[in-house]
Amino acid sequence: MSLVHFQILSAALFSIGLYGVLARRSAVLILLSIELMLNAVNINLIAFSAYTESLASTGQVIAIFVITVAAAEVGLALAIIINLFRSKGSVDIDKIDVMRW
Amino acid sequence: MTNFWLFIPEFTITALAFGVIGADLFLARENKKYLPWISSIGLIVVLGIALNYLLGKQENLYGGLFLIDDFSMFFKVFFLILGLLVVLISSEYVKNHIKHPGEYYGILIFSILAMMLMAASGELLTAYISLELLSFCLYVLVASGRYGEKSTEAGVKYILLGAVASAFMLYGISQIYGLVGTTKFADMNLVLVAENSSALDLGLIMGIVFIIGGLAFKIAAVPFHMWAPDVYEGAPTPITAYLAVGSKAAAFALILRMMSSGFISIMEDWQMVIIVIAALTMTLGNLVALAQNNIKRLLAYSSIGHVGYLLMGVVAMTPLAFDGIMLHLVGYGVTNLACFMCIIMLYNSTGRDDVAGYAGLADRSPFLAMSMAVALFSLAGLPFFAGFTTKFYLFTAVANEGLIWLVGLAILNSLISLYYYLMVIKSMYIDPSEDTTVLVFSRYSLSVLGILVVFIFLVGVYPGPLVELIQEASQSLFSYIP
Repeated sequence: MSLVHFQILSAALFSIGLYGVLARRSAVLILLSIELMLNAVNINLIAFSAYTESLASTGQVIAIFVITVAAAEVGLALAIIINLFRSKGSVDIDKIDVMRW
Repeated sequence: MTNFWLFIPEFTITALAFGVIGADLFLARENKKYLPWISSIGLIVVLGIALNYLLGKQENLYGGLFLIDDFSMFFKVFFLILGLLVVLISSEYVKNHIKHPGEYYGILIFSILAMMLMAASGELLTAYISLELLSFCLYVLVASGRYGEKSTEAGVKYILLGAVASAFMLYGISQIYGLVGTTKFADMNLVLVAENSSALDLGLIMGIVFIIGGLAFKIAAVPFHMWAPDVYEGAPTPITAYLAVGSKAAAFALILRMMSSGFISIMEDWQMVIIVIAALTMTLGNLVALAQNNIKRLLAYSSIGHVGYLLMGVVAMTPLAFDGIMLHLVGYGVTNLACFMCIIMLYNSTGRDDVAGYAGLADRSPFLAMSMAVALFSLAGLPFFAGFTTKFYLFTAVANEGLIWLVGLAILNSLISLYYYLMVIKSMYIDPSEDTTVLVFSRYSLSVLGILVVFIFLVGVYPGPLVELIQEASQSLFSYIP
């Protein structure tokens, strides 16, 4: 296993997450896909800091921050999505079309 | 030993935010009207503390994570004054349309803290965390409208797209961290200068592009602008004003610092990306604005157009162009706040925010119509108003760098924008209104609007002292480059 393998894993995971964001119609599943993208970043950071001597452990510190921020983000997004569900009775993003250009 | 006194404005503003939320718990319902006064007096105190302790200092905190210099000082003062003005324009709107005033003001103050941190951050992770703090506050504020399908819808759109954008930016940060080996802007520059920059790693380019993409989302530049009109329309109106000015200014502060002290040595590699984004942003923003009939949406597209002008300055990358960007941010900020104050006042008394609702406004309230006209002329960039001076400064600085075609495009776009601003003015002064009752406003909101209009003229006619401050700020930014 080399650094490149981890980078490919991370890029693949990021792309799968992005596909999920674009393809899913439920706001909750889009949120899950975003989590996937953030976890891809974590893999990238930890692999870099584990395989490169000069980087010390900054990458792991950043990863911990990213996990924290991601948790906060999910909490906030779910609160807003619950609010949406209360007013619309659905979390389908195709149905939120009051405003269009 | 870290000198914690350098952090005193941030500490006090955090205390203020908690204080406002705490005060909300203990105040009786009829005393909640004092919350905006607590917030604004607190912000003035923080402003005083910042000016007292930090003026003219050039130091850093935590080994370069936070930079205290004239540049961050300028933006701190700008954000505090902006926050104060937003609190002032909010107070009547919040009374009528927001259920939880304490949280509203508390979170607003937290977002000012986030913007101050963004302007001061000297490192990618710090920048990311403060950007997220700002975004989280804005997500909540956008979704806090009381009667609102629209507000919730705007909140959902904003948070889902914003989270994707920040994931992109984070992926870019991880690439840069891995390949350059540091996250501090100053060290990044040293590494990039030492390497042979003509053979840039593909991963590195990807990292930079992803970071530019994430930040372009925050400023609503063109391929990443689709959220802006919806969010601007759905959000509570004072928050729309705040989004249009504050979050943009903070993102620009970060872009200026990052590009000038981090990536300046590989400028040729990313310059073209920004040129294309700038040209697309101003053209599309102004053209689509022509077709809008909701005033908040119209201003959303006009603000997208303004981002295009500001991005030209980033391309030019000279101290003069940076002065232009900061000056335009101030001028645009004041003008936009005045414009939104008019929208809020009209909305509070008639409940209309479509352009047709402005018909015959000149007869119903001459002062409101006059202020709105002044603000719109300033946005279009007519002489004597703030918009002209700041645009002139910015465009000249960019033209000096030989980007004549880009400046030509910007001037053409200014002319296009004049059309849709004039449509609103025509509606106010020429079109007859179906309802001719005279509108009466409180003395408070009239005086806030009056102050903002005076500011527009002040920046437009006598920008000298402001320009001097801005020049010092941009000099300190360029002093990091060896």
